[in-house]
Parts: sequence; structure tokens; C-alpha cells
Amino acid sequence: MIKVLLRLPSARIAIGVLLVIAVITLFGPVLAPYDPLQGSDLTLAPPSAQHWLGTDYTGRDVLSRILAGAPLSIVSTLEVAGIALVLGTIPGILSVYLGSIFEWVSLRLIDTLVALPFLVFAVAMTALLGNGITQAMIAVGLLVAPLFYRVARAATLTVAQSQYVEAAVLAGASTGWIVRRHVWAKVLPPIAITLATTLGLGLVVISSLTFLGIGVQPPTPTWGGILASDLDYLPQKAYAPVFPAVIILVTVLAFNMLADAIRDAAGQSGRVLVGARAAKANRARRVAA
Amino acid sequence: MTQAPVVTPAAETVAETHPEDVLVLEDVRIHDDLSDTELVHGVSLRLRRGQVVGIVGESGSGKSLTCRAVLGILPELIEVSGGSITLLGRDAATLTRRDWTALRGAAIGAVFQDPASYLNPSITVGKQLQEVLRVRGGLSRKDAHRRAVELFDSVHLRDPEQVYRQYVHELSGGMLQRVLIAIAISLDPDILIADEATTALDATVQAEILDLLAELTERLGLALVLVSHDLAVVAQLCDEVLVLRDGHVVEQGPTARILHDPQEAYTRLLVAEHEQYGLERYLGTTADAVLPTEELNRV
Amino acid sequence: MRRSRGRRLAVSIGKPLAVFVPVFLLGTFFTFLLGHLSGRSPAYIQLGDAATPEAVAAVEHEWGLDRPFGVQYVDWLGDIFRFDLGESWFNGHSVAEVLLDRAVITLSAAGVALVIGVVAGFALGALAARFHATWVDRAVTGFTTTISVLPPFVVGIALVAVFAVSLDLLPAAGYVPIEAGLGPWLSHLILPAIALSFDTVADVARQLRDGLVSTKRENYVTGALVRGLGPRRIFFVHVLRNGVGPALAVLGLKFPALLGGAVVTEAIFGLSGYGVFATQAAIRGDVPAVQGVLVVSVVLVVLFNLVVNVVLNRLAPAAARGV
Repeated sequence: MIKVLLRLPSARIAIGVLLVIAVITLFGPVLAPYDPLQGSDLTLAPPSAQHWLGTDYTGRDVLSRILAGAPLSIVSTLEVAGIALVLGTIPGILSVYLGSIFEWVSLRLIDTLVALPFLVFAVAMTALLGNGITQAMIAVGLLVAPLFYRVARAATLTVAQSQYVEAAVLAGASTGWIVRRHVWAKVLPPIAITLATTLGLGLVVISSLTFLGIGVQPPTPTWGGILASDLDYLPQKAYAPVFPAVIILVTVLAFNMLADAIRDAAGQSGRVLVGARAAKANRARRVAA
Repeated sequence: MTQAPVVTPAAETVAETHPEDVLVLEDVRIHDDLSDTELVHGVSLRLRRGQVVGIVGESGSGKSLTCRAVLGILPELIEVSGGSITLLGRDAATLTRRDWTALRGAAIGAVFQDPASYLNPSITVGKQLQEVLRVRGGLSRKDAHRRAVELFDSVHLRDPEQVYRQYVHELSGGMLQRVLIAIAISLDPDILIADEATTALDATVQAEILDLLAELTERLGLALVLVSHDLAVVAQLCDEVLVLRDGHVVEQGPTARILHDPQEAYTRLLVAEHEQYGLERYLGTTADAVLPTEELNRV
Repeated sequence: MRRSRGRRLAVSIGKPLAVFVPVFLLGTFFTFLLGHLSGRSPAYIQLGDAATPEAVAAVEHEWGLDRPFGVQYVDWLGDIFRFDLGESWFNGHSVAEVLLDRAVITLSAAGVALVIGVVAGFALGALAARFHATWVDRAVTGFTTTISVLPPFVVGIALVAVFAVSLDLLPAAGYVPIEAGLGPWLSHLILPAIALSFDTVADVARQLRDGLVSTKRENYVTGALVRGLGPRRIFFVHVLRNGVGPALAVLGLKFPALLGGAVVTEAIFGLSGYGVFATQAAIRGDVPAVQGVLVVSVVLVVLFNLVVNVVLNRLAPAAARGV
């Protein structure tokens, strides 16, 4: 599947963009030309040779703040997705095997988590539990977990009801063995799609929280925080939010493109388009003949 | 039944329209652009008012596609690639979408296998008949309701007022087929196409529906095209039979001759099977029941 | 085989109730548990960090926080059913009263966003389905995909920058009650509502398109065609009615996001709705106020979904039954 994936142009673009983001995340603070916390007299300056993306309201270099903010924004996004993956996938798979009580309770819990107004709960949980980035990640991870739960459960159900698993059960295979041997192969592609989607969503939510000053307090640079400070100075510098917004959008878009590419590579769509094209060619040939 | 059957050999291509002909197919070919194959290789038939013609064949023999071509509802990417279809003297190839809409219902109606799927599940069946009478028949809401109940009564639905208010999931297959027949004849069409209309039904219900079709043909002077995989069904009603296999017309002629003096090996096989196992054997083969939709889904 | 209309309606309400009563109970329980786990206390808000343990104990006793967890929970839940959300630890105001004023602003923005979501989403979805597999379809799909990845805070800031600051067409911030006139009210709400609505527009359009395209392949559409009904009539009476289910269902799922999105859009557009209130209260550690917001949002979500279910059942009984 990975070979097919790498043949898709959209997947290559997405992976290329994400590699650049990864480099920024790893080396951003080192690459930053200025101290992201050190202000200067040059406030709200437009882009120039010294300050490629200009300066903010206390004269700090915007490029440096974006680069320095990358680790916190991206790493916490990864951790959100990781937490959601663990909290969602494992109960999702187990809900098929651990009996009807666990199944019913976990389904009701998931229904509830889905119905909750996401951001309000994320804000409330993070702030009440200590207003730190760790609390933010746990809160968001928990609230995103239903995505994984549903995907994992649906995939596991189709596997559990198929005949080769029935055969394995009749042959006396243990639950653990069945999960390792048969379930993973079916569950992995949809989980990979959900993971890519969740990474995009996680970045948006983390950026929203830092935008609100939840989880991380100024002056620590984060992409959402930079946007928040730009908002107050819109009348002076209306284009300022473009820079942090673009890097957030490009990253989110790359994650979403990757999700779509995995979906195509896993062979769940795309055939219709090819078929229609072939049909048109066939018709043209017949009419010409 | 009242009229002498007209034999039209497949080879004959000379168009000779008779004023009584309501439907004429001349060497109709149907092509699938997706797989670039021809699915129907030349079907010709001629149908007069009050006459019943049967098309017999297995799954994928092209009988449903032929019906759909006559109704102008071939699936996307499948089209008539040769020959001609003449509906009430009009060449089907020249019809616009608007012409088709005007012709359907008023000139030609159809009922299919699996009647439940051909009715809107969210609207009561009565409203769906009333809709046709109102929109196409130009009746007022009240008149349309009255006429709908009359039509339900005329297809022998018990308690038509009650049926009028029911949804698809509340009625049985036989009742739904009667509803569909009532809708199909509501605008007094000249031609009725019954495509495997009795296939998924119980033996007794199947017989009742065939009786109803026979009665309507006589009473209303309908020209009926009866399509089935079941020779027994066709034999009961038809003046003329057309045997299709893999899109080819194997044999065509008066029902009596086809049944008693089949010329082709394939027809002899069908007749022999029929005589050997009788009606019951055919009724047992419900696996064939999914055929027409399968044909459609090939796209 | 026969079912009365009354029973049909009862089922249409009863089935979702079976889903949403647990959602309400679990959601409110989470809310209470969250307050409990936070370890926040009114004592520190009122007395400051330097308070003596005795003084803290006295304040907590006064608020009934020294009682067992179960007793406090049952008491709290009972109060909710009497529309009593307690008093703010911060200033002692009735949370229910404060929220009532604020919820009007939030619901106005969410309501306008919902209208935009339904109108634009339905128009785009129907357009794409009508011209399925043509350039129109691809253009609509491309557009909805693009707007669905735009986060509300980015859209919000862009709208302020363009329409309020650069073009000076609409007010950048604030709220005017509807009593002051429909025009001023809407002019203050339209930008936040648009920012909120993007995700809903995209999802409704996508679901409607897919629903309509698959409904068009149903046999009963062929049936209607064979009866001689015109394409427009078939689309509106037969296709739309049955294909609308998924789009309506997604509307029920999107409502929580519209309420939740208020947290961000209210901050951008300076609306003092319940989102801003929640953020401020949460940062201050004002547990009853935060719990109040959460309970109200859970109740709104549950009520909205019940309405969606009833509408769905009326419109397309078959779709609601899962046929």
C-alpha cells in the first residue's frame, strides 16, 4: 500500500510539505534569526531584508516567533493524535470482543463525547485542570478519541463477522491471537486515514486554544498565540495574520491531502473516474469506426 | 389473443408499418460503452393493440435491456447503437427528453420485478398514484383521489381506501405489484411492459397477477410485452414468443409453434426442461430473481 | 402491518430519547466530575492564596463542598432540573441569569450560522448532484473541500481584516440586540456567523450531494420516470425528499460544533456570549459558572437533535427507519 501511496502526486506533495514542517519543528528555534521573546523599538514593521516577515507590536521578529513556535504547536498536535489513537482504538477493538456490557457502556460514552460542544469542553477542561499544555493535550485527545473508536470498531466488526475468523475461533484461537493476526491488517488502513485527519484537526484545535490563551500563556510563542496578538493590531497591519495563518493552513491541508491519498491508495475510491474515462474513449472509437 | 399473431423473422429488416402497430423494433442493437461490447445483437418485433408478446431468456440475455431501450431508460453509458424503435409511429431516436416524458405514462407504461423498490418509500402509495393523475392527467386533487381509489379497485385490491393511505413497507409484494399496475395503466397507455413482474412472487400470487394482466389486455386493449425467464409464464399469456440468449434472438414465432415444434436446440432445451419439471421447478429458481437490477449495476 | 400516525410520532421521539437521555446524564456527570477533579475552591477566589486552612474550611463548608461527592452530585443534578445552576464563586451572581443573557447572543450567532449552513449547503449540494460528474460537480466539491479545512479563527480574522478593517463595510466587534432593528443586529452577527458556518456548509453540501446521487440510482426514481413525471418534479418530490436524510443528520452533528465554535468567534468579534464567559470563568477557576455553560450546551445539543430527528421522521419515514 505504501508503494501505491508514493505513486500518487497528491501524496508526494503532502509528504514533501510535512517534511518541511518536520524540519521547522526540529530545528526552528535554532534557525530563528532573532530571539523570539526580545522586543525592539521597531514595532509593526513591514517585511524587509532584516525582518523577512516584519515585526509584531513589541518589535519582535515574526519569522523567529513562527519558527520558535513550531515545536510547541506541532509536537502537541502529534501528542493529541497519539492520545486519541490509544484512547479510541483500543476500546474500539475491544468493544467487539469484551461482551455486551462493555460494548453498551463504551458506545454510550462515545455518543456523549461526540455530542459535547467540542471547543467549550476543551477550554473548560484545560483551564479548570491547571491550564497547562499537558492538560490541553489530554482534554483534546479525549474529545477526539471517538473518531478512532468508531473506525476501529467498524473495521473490527467486519473482520469479526467474516468466516476465516469464525474458523479461527472454532479452532480454539485466543482473542489476543485473533486481534494480532487478523484484525490489525483490516483495521490499519482506516486507522491511518483517521490519524492523518486527526493530525489536521488536532493542529486546528491546539491553535484555537493557544489563540484563546488557553494552555499556553504569552509571551511563549505559538502559532495560535501569534494570530491572537496580530488580531489586536489589525487596523495598523491588516495583513499580519496572513503569515501564521498560512503556515497553519498549509500544514492542515497537507495532513488532509495525506488522508485522502491513503484512502485512494487503500482502494476505496477512484475506480469510477478511471472507468468513466475508459468509457468515453470506447465510445469515441466506436462512433469514429 | 383475439388477434392472429404476426410472425416477424429476425432477418427481416424492411420497415413496413401497419396502422395497428403500436411498437415496432427493427434489428435493435444495444452497446455498452464502458466495456465496449455489444450486449444485444439485433432484436426485431412488432406489436399490435391487444396483442401480447413474450420475451424469454436467462439472466443477462438482454431482455431487460431491450425493455429499457423501449422505455428510453437505458443505464448511463449504455445506448442503442443500431436499428430502430418505433413507438406509436414515432422514431424513438428522434425523441427529446420532453417527448419521452410526454410519452411515458400516456403511451407506454411499465411494471418491474421487486415492486417495493419502484415506489417511493416516504410517500403513501395512494399519493403516488394521485400524483400521476394530477400532474399528467390534469385532475383536481379531489378527482385524482377518487380516480386513484377506482383504479386500485379495478386491479382488485381489497379495501382500496385503506391501501391508498399505506406506505410501501406496510404492503405485501403481490399488493405492491397491483399498485404498480394501477399506476402504470392510470393514464390509459397503449403499451404495457411487464419486466419479470411476477418473478419474486408466490406461486398463487403470480397466477393472480398474470390473470390480472390478461384481463387488462382484453378490457383495455393494451398491447403487452411480457418479459420472463420462465417459459411457463410466457406460454400462458402470449400470442408470440421471442427467445433471447446472450443478446441473440434464438427463435421467434407464435407461442404454439415454439412450444410444440421448436426449431433450435436451445429452445428445445427450455421446452424440455419445462415439460420435465413443470411450473414448480421454475418457481423454485428464485436465484434469478435479482437479474434485472444486476444488469443495471454493471455500469 | 398497520401503524397509526400517533405511534409513528411516538417512535420518532422515543428512539432518539433512548440515545440522548444517556448523553444528557453522562454529559452532566462529566461536567460535575470535571469541577470536582479540578480541585478548585471558592475559598482561594474569595480569600486569596494566603488564606488560613481554617478560613478555607469555613468557606468550603458554607458552599457545601465538604459533603460527600455523591450527595453533592445528586443535589447539583436536582438543582439543574429546577433551572438552578448555582451562584458564581467569583461574584455570587446567579449563573442561570447571567447565562440567559449571554446565550441569546451565542444562539443568535449559531442560529444565523445554521441558516447560512442550511441554505448554502443545500444549494451547493443540490447543484453538485444535479450536475453530477461534470465540471460543476468538481468545482463545488473543490470549493467545499477548501472551506472545510479553513478553521473558524482563521476565517474570522480574515473576515475582520477584509470587511471590517480594510473595507470598513461592517462593524468589527460588538453586539446589538434585535430590538434595535434587524439590520444592525444582522450586521453585527453576519461575519461571526459566516466564520462559524463554513464547516457546516461544507458538510451539508457533501452529504446532500452524496445522498442525492445515490437516491437518483434508486428504482423508485426509475419508477417515477416511467410514469412520465418530469425531471424537476422527480428531483423535488422523489429524490430530494429521500436523499435529504444524511444532510439533516449531519446538521444534528454539526450543532455542537456551532456552539463550541462560539468560544473562538466570540473572542474574535468581541461578542460577550457564553463562549467568552466560559473562557473567562474557566481561567478564573469559577467552577459553577463553567459547569453552567457546559450543562446549557449539553441541553441545547440534546434538544436540537431531538428536533432534527422528528423533522427527519416527518419528511422521510423510510430514511429515519434506516431502510
